[in-house]
Amino acid sequence: MKDQENFVNHIRPRFVPNGVLSVFYTFCLGGLSFLAFVLIGITGLLLMFHYQPGDRTGYNSILTIATVIPYGGVIRNLHYWAGQLMVVTVNLHMLRVVWTHSYKPPRQLNWLVGVALLLLILFLDFTGYLLIGSQESGAAATVAVNILRLIPGNVGRGLAQILFGEPSALSGSTLVVYVWHCVALPMVALFLQLYHFWRIRRDGGVRPL
Amino acid sequence: MPKQLEWTRRAALRLAWLGVIAASALTIEPLLKYLTSKEDRLQSPLVAYNKPLVVSSDWQNTANARVWVKQDSLGVMALVATCTHLGCEVHYQPETKEWLCPCHGSIYDLEGRPVSGPAPKALPRVAVERKADGSLMINTSKLVGMDTRL
Repeated sequence: MKDQENFVNHIRPRFVPNGVLSVFYTFCLGGLSFLAFVLIGITGLLLMFHYQPGDRTGYNSILTIATVIPYGGVIRNLHYWAGQLMVVTVNLHMLRVVWTHSYKPPRQLNWLVGVALLLLILFLDFTGYLLIGSQESGAAATVAVNILRLIPGNVGRGLAQILFGEPSALSGSTLVVYVWHCVALPMVALFLQLYHFWRIRRDGGVRPL
Repeated sequence: MPKQLEWTRRAALRLAWLGVIAASALTIEPLLKYLTSKEDRLQSPLVAYNKPLVVSSDWQNTANARVWVKQDSLGVMALVATCTHLGCEVHYQPETKEWLCPCHGSIYDLEGRPVSGPAPKALPRVAVERKADGSLMINTSKLVGMDTRL
């Protein structure tokens, strides 16, 4: 019984029925998203060695990484484009799930986990955009903070402070955004994804990951 | 007759693993270079310039790509070619006597005053000192006014 609860034992299905391996069932969109996530994790860790958050240092360190540091341009571009790819594939993945009615019982819980993951990935994409620290990032941060402040009372103000710190209108890169983007949210996303994969098996999925 | 090569699943997987290991080995050198790069270390604010300067010369680049010196009838001045908008390196155009920022198209005149684009203020001037041997020492951490000369 203990063995059946184990995550590792659920990576591969117990049996694979004939014909189920056709790529047209899922177009591998979830797998592609996870592949992009792993790539983003590795390149993101590498970027942390040279990136300096902050409204005065953020943009300059991005320029330094992209132009001066050896292979920094490759690593930065891999991180950026894998991020763009993941946003595209998770959205297509959701469309596929709707198309094949895979949100229906007994998979309701996994659909909700997927929605949470979608929101998380979009927010990670947004915070990454802020960390570039360019003028556009500053504008985006200002818009986000002002939207949150529409929440009445001091709730919106506090929420904006917790999520973004105090981004300047010219940069958007703050230590607060950095910690969310590089540590807290990727951790949550990783564990939610592992749970997502485990749920697939528990709900009767038989396609190998 | 040579023995026929049989492509079992195991042989294919072994080859794939070899490929993965070979590809990983190729990333070792780039990774070492990336992780040990000191290019983003803080540099000393002092920049030396020991070539002779002519009165009414054009802007001359120093050992630091962003620091430029020039002499007019009043004396020597030094300028830091960092855009006052978002910090990109601005390029001097000797033909038009203008400073051009490649990032958002700010243009500064010969003296570094903003002419067009999003740049909010003039390119920073920094202090110049003459050392005992006659060469110049530019202190980029010490900002001075537009009219200051050595």
